[in-house]
Amino acid sequence: MARFHPLKVTDVRRDTRDAVVVTLAPRDEDRALFDFTQGQYLTLRRDFDGEELRRSYSICSGVDDGCLRVGIKRVDGGAFSTWANENLAPGVEIDAMPPMGKFHTQTDPAAERQYLGVAAGSGITPLLSIIKTVLAREPRSQFTLVYANRQINSIMFREELEDLKNLYLGRFSVLHILKAEAQEIDLFTGRIDEGKMAALFQHWIDPTALDTAFICGPEGLMLAVAASLREHGMRDEQIKFELFASSQPGRAKARAVSQQAATQGNGTAATVTLDGATRNFQMPREGETILEAAIANHMDAPYSCKAGVCSTCRCKVLEGEVEMAINHALEDYEVRAGYVLSCQAYPISDRVVVTYDE
Amino acid sequence: MTQTMNLDDYLAQGGVLTSPGNVPPRYRGELLRLMSSFVDSELAASAGFADAINFAPAIKERIAASRITLEKADHAERVLAVMADFGTDSRRYQQSHDWAARVDREADIGAARREGDMRLSVFHYPIAGWTDAVVMNVLQGLAAGVQMTELTRVSYAPLAEVFREIAPREARHAGLGLEGLAALAESDRDRVQASLGYWHPRVAAGFGAAHSARYETLRRFGLRHQPNEVLLARWETLVAEHLAAFGL
Repeated sequence: MARFHPLKVTDVRRDTRDAVVVTLAPRDEDRALFDFTQGQYLTLRRDFDGEELRRSYSICSGVDDGCLRVGIKRVDGGAFSTWANENLAPGVEIDAMPPMGKFHTQTDPAAERQYLGVAAGSGITPLLSIIKTVLAREPRSQFTLVYANRQINSIMFREELEDLKNLYLGRFSVLHILKAEAQEIDLFTGRIDEGKMAALFQHWIDPTALDTAFICGPEGLMLAVAASLREHGMRDEQIKFELFASSQPGRAKARAVSQQAATQGNGTAATVTLDGATRNFQMPREGETILEAAIANHMDAPYSCKAGVCSTCRCKVLEGEVEMAINHALEDYEVRAGYVLSCQAYPISDRVVVTYDE
Repeated sequence: MTQTMNLDDYLAQGGVLTSPGNVPPRYRGELLRLMSSFVDSELAASAGFADAINFAPAIKERIAASRITLEKADHAERVLAVMADFGTDSRRYQQSHDWAARVDREADIGAARREGDMRLSVFHYPIAGWTDAVVMNVLQGLAAGVQMTELTRVSYAPLAEVFREIAPREARHAGLGLEGLAALAESDRDRVQASLGYWHPRVAAGFGAAHSARYETLRRFGLRHQPNEVLLARWETLVAEHLAAFGL
């Protein structure tokens, strides 16, 4: 299981009014663990008033930059990103899991490829890592970036992108699409949708020459761009996605303190929700797990190993108490938030309410 | 700057998810179930095919059987690595079952999964000799080819990519089987026919029930695209074409 390791903040640079670029250094003994591939992300964690929050941030440095750097844009009401924007300073330590993610393609020094990147807002972070790495490692390849933002002063890495254009003259081009600012060319105003993509393909980008496209942004952008790329002949395996979900779960709510302590008794009144449907049934205190009881009551609850190892059967306890016999899959913070492995969970209170939907 | 959207709508419109952090809970459960079924099936297939190495009549066949045994274990490992991103303890997972265990050859377990092990039911049956191994590998290999058309476009992008790497190698396994069958169709015809009769219904059961309720859930999540009965019909056609080419 991936474990957390401390990273030390060595530099913090404010990039826009609401985004910082943070350079992080692993301990010497963890260095190899934090070797990354372009386009990967780090999962950071921090304790907020006793609740652990985890957030993933894409690495924005290139593989050959010799440092680990992430861009963190403040999200309205986002506890983690707000904290990071206001409190991270050189010397601060923060826990991170080793890099994860498959938002990349293999580079090949002999390749002569045409890449397209499409990003919106902070979706630029993994793309910047990919652009830097690909341009450095494939001297004959070209990269076109289509980058959507609200207005000029909210563009992350604006100067860095300009520098890259100068460094890789003729091999790297950027088309800025600004929603709230009129530009000389109408095409570059508005937002990225299928119509905009079609117009770009007509006038600026030859879709038939593209080898690979990278898309990073929220749901609507991903759908529109992917549909447009497919319509212009690209195959699924040529399109790489990294979703910046708009509906990421908010603060991980700690589990409500149980009203009801464990009690002695024979039976338990169980309430189980799956796919929006709720069933109530009686189950014994011993010899039957929540999962077995749900299945016995004709609920198609997910499970696989039944050994507390795979975590397929994870559910959340909303009320009452259960006890897990074995847990090799859930981490402490998940358990604190009320998650249990239903294949290992036995009720120990008169009443339990669990859901597979949260 | 961009339109926000609920994840269910996004998935229904063909959107893809890219990390454990943006996967909703029910999707997570079904995704893990799908992955563990694949991992268990590949591990059981590898363990079962290991015997075929020693059934092989010559070095070329021995190498083919070894390659299949090796690569199926490798495919299990690749998908298990995606499961590990969700918290699965991969070291313990590999040890949680006896992957070589088989039921009696004449036992009737239907399409049901056995206790705690999500391998397709066909991988609970033992292989009896080289001809039997080749026939099973052809029928199941063609079935895997059909299943791969679904797996390579699952909506969880990191998994779809793994399946796209795996698919051509799985196709090669079926190809090795067809090469073997071409020779046996002449030299060991009766045993080929008997094995076809034995494995055909058992492989067919792996496509699952027609009009499955779970299919609807999986389709909404973008984890499936074609119903069981359509995939089964496609496999039946493929099998009939290949066998006809050998005069079987």
